[in-house]
Amino acid sequence: MQELVTTNGAAGRITQYKLDNGLRLIVAPAATGQVAAVNLWYGVGSRHEVPGRTGFAHLFEHLMFQGSGNAAKGDHFDAIERLGGDINASTSSDRTNYYETVPDHALDLALWLEADRLATLRDGMSQEVLDNQRDVVKNERRQRYDNVPYGTAFERILAHAYPEGHPYHHPTIGSMADLDAADLEYVLSFHEAHYGPDNLVLTVVSNLDPDDVHERVQRYFGGIPARTVTAVAPDAVLEGPLGGPKSEVVKENVPAPAVFLIYRVAPYGTREFDIMQLASAVLGQGQGSRMYRRLVVERGLANDDGGSSADLVNFRYTPGLFFVSMIAREGVGGEELETAMLDEIATLAEGVTEEELERARAVLERDHLQAISTPGGLADALGSCTQLFDDPELVYTWPERWADITTDDIVEHAKRLLTPENRLSLRFEAEAEAETAEPAEA
Amino acid sequence: MSNLQPRPVLGEPARYTFPKPQRVKAGGGTVVAIDIPGQPYVAVRLVQTAGGAGEPLEHMGVATLVNEVLEDGFDGNSSLAPALERYGAEWVSRIGWDSFITGVDAPANRIKDAVSLFAAAVRTPALRTEDVVRRRDQLVERFWLEASVASTLAARTIGGQLFTGRYATPLSGGPVHQQELTPETVRRFHADNIASVAGTLVVVGDLTGVDLEEIGRTVFGDAAPAPQRRTVAPEGAPGELPRVVVLDRPGSVQSAIVLAHRAPARAEVDLPKVEGMSDVLGGMFTSRLNMELRERLGYTYGVGCRFDLRRDSGVFVISTQVEAPTTAHSVTATLEQIRKLQDEGVTESELNAVRESNTVGMPVSYATAGRLAGALVESVVHDLPEDHVDRLRAGFDRLTADDLRDSAREYLHPQEAVVIVAGDAESLRGPLEETGVGPVTVRDPETLWT
Repeated sequence: MQELVTTNGAAGRITQYKLDNGLRLIVAPAATGQVAAVNLWYGVGSRHEVPGRTGFAHLFEHLMFQGSGNAAKGDHFDAIERLGGDINASTSSDRTNYYETVPDHALDLALWLEADRLATLRDGMSQEVLDNQRDVVKNERRQRYDNVPYGTAFERILAHAYPEGHPYHHPTIGSMADLDAADLEYVLSFHEAHYGPDNLVLTVVSNLDPDDVHERVQRYFGGIPARTVTAVAPDAVLEGPLGGPKSEVVKENVPAPAVFLIYRVAPYGTREFDIMQLASAVLGQGQGSRMYRRLVVERGLANDDGGSSADLVNFRYTPGLFFVSMIAREGVGGEELETAMLDEIATLAEGVTEEELERARAVLERDHLQAISTPGGLADALGSCTQLFDDPELVYTWPERWADITTDDIVEHAKRLLTPENRLSLRFEAEAEAETAEPAEA
Repeated sequence: MSNLQPRPVLGEPARYTFPKPQRVKAGGGTVVAIDIPGQPYVAVRLVQTAGGAGEPLEHMGVATLVNEVLEDGFDGNSSLAPALERYGAEWVSRIGWDSFITGVDAPANRIKDAVSLFAAAVRTPALRTEDVVRRRDQLVERFWLEASVASTLAARTIGGQLFTGRYATPLSGGPVHQQELTPETVRRFHADNIASVAGTLVVVGDLTGVDLEEIGRTVFGDAAPAPQRRTVAPEGAPGELPRVVVLDRPGSVQSAIVLAHRAPARAEVDLPKVEGMSDVLGGMFTSRLNMELRERLGYTYGVGCRFDLRRDSGVFVISTQVEAPTTAHSVTATLEQIRKLQDEGVTESELNAVRESNTVGMPVSYATAGRLAGALVESVVHDLPEDHVDRLRAGFDRLTADDLRDSAREYLHPQEAVVIVAGDAESLRGPLEETGVGPVTVRDPETLWT
């Protein structure tokens, strides 16, 4: 296959350092000048949460902006916004990410702010800010989950796909009850357990000299001691299929029926995951995908504006999910749509053409290359590859993972994985129209 | 204990100059380009003026539908995207009130092939009847799917509350007007406004080995230069102001709130003064509204405001989603923040934040090909001079605290605002009436566009 984009000779220009306290630093060049993209991946996520404490890693991410030993509440945002910087953070099951892209003369300030909250967050924490951010996060939950149609889909899927007590059984946002129960003492212990330089990958993408960047990072982070005790993540091992067929029908105030079909696949970073990612692109990514051609264009059963009906959930430390979802057209029942989706998914086991595979590779490669074409995007990808795989160079070679996967590989995996025993079905039906639907079961 | 450094004092930032674009005439159009060596994805945008504002009232939404159906390509049947995907390219399109934007993001080494496909799709699309009907019917259904989200519902209600004429109806024409569009109307609009009008082509990325004139000829063909545009200020909607409109969503645990009023056209305002003031009120995380409603009261995940400035008029909008029982207080707390800004002006710290973020922060603002392309597109849509970004910076540099206070008094008009609340009417009506903001009416969302 012809390479779509040369990588600008950037591979090989990554410089890696490790500080004595365990902090891993990745430095790489930016495609546009005068900026420094600073990105931190801490190896802590909602998988580290225990029952009764769900939502805590994410709530904690909010608290990291609420002041530390030498920075007042709001100071971090204020300092970066004054520089016109891009700043935010996010939490997933596997990690917590903080980032800021600033004019490069302000790199030291960004590093100092990050170092201060890593070293001294506990000095700035108070019951008042905890109470405030608890309310903010509860509103985030309402906005993203509880007050939008289909908003609880992912939460329901996790609950069915991972057993009770498993660290991926719950979503990152957590439950309202657990958020209410969060206390200051636990906040302080969480910081101590997870926030150490030895649990951090720090990436800087800029046009500054790598050794200069290293020297500055050493200056600000070098004096922060590593954790005395390394936190242990709960056991996330799962073997075998999902335990299906499982199904749930939700009757809610939704504008149209929606169907989610879920299958368990191997973790992110495995060859099985890569093969199924290509399978998902053949099936449901882009307007050349099977689901779009058949169910949107030819049969008019689903509403889809661009062809994004299939994808993978990329958990690193436990099996991931092959995820297919669609919303029904007017007059189309949820059951009818589900049957049509299952029929289309079944065709993967019957064969895939070389042309389909080529298109799928091109779509995935394009998305990857576009994601790393900005300083912030590149920094994030480098942090990801280092924190999850201990290899930043993977960023530049990632599309090669798909190069030797064949149509037979996809067919063989589809036959083995896209089966009823490995399947969860979640369907949303409008309340008035769901009278005849079967009761929920799991 | 750790050994920490003192907070660093920032040095002088390097001076940033917006890259000077190349201009190449080709046929009836112009290519405007910025070369970013090392940026492997090239952003290509064709800017045409056939946006929603110029649509005939009997064909509202036709620009949106044409924009959508172009994606079916030269051969029809949704063939464009798969063809582009083979080159690692992606179709990009956006319809605005003043613009009709189409384009591709493509790898620099495949730009010629991708632009050929793009040009055929824009100039000579199939526009088959079955494609138009399919896209139209999906657009109508998608309108309701999207409006089932409270914040979208509230935002789409603004036009009908503030304007008569075209702006009273959503850009897509809403479900009723969109449904009435015929394939013949689509073909005629395309022939008159898209196929035959050259427009301006924006190209940003690594242009090593890229022949801009050839790309221009491919895209412009023999299309004529864009005609002169006329603007006529729209009329306002009738009704007492200020007023409160509740869009009933029974059982909502949050309320989506929009406070909106009319504003001048983009060309009529001094942009740094208006945007700087808006930044202080609600344009940043550390803005007053967010610090009050989120960081002090904990009512919301976030709140913001902005001016949507068009060629013939504008709108000022504050929007947020708050926990349902806090709705009425969120409205009065928002109005209080406007009053304080108008009465007391801004602090020196706020002035500096606005000045610095819009000047020192320019390398960040333009750190990607997409954002540079966006700045060029904006300059075409609004007929701005080539150095408009540098002029904006100079304007922010000159800002004073008095400018921002005066701007708050001149451009914020809570007495002429409509407060739109998408939420549970039964529990909200009483508390909203008690605020005394204005008369409260309740609407069933399903009746808004039928």
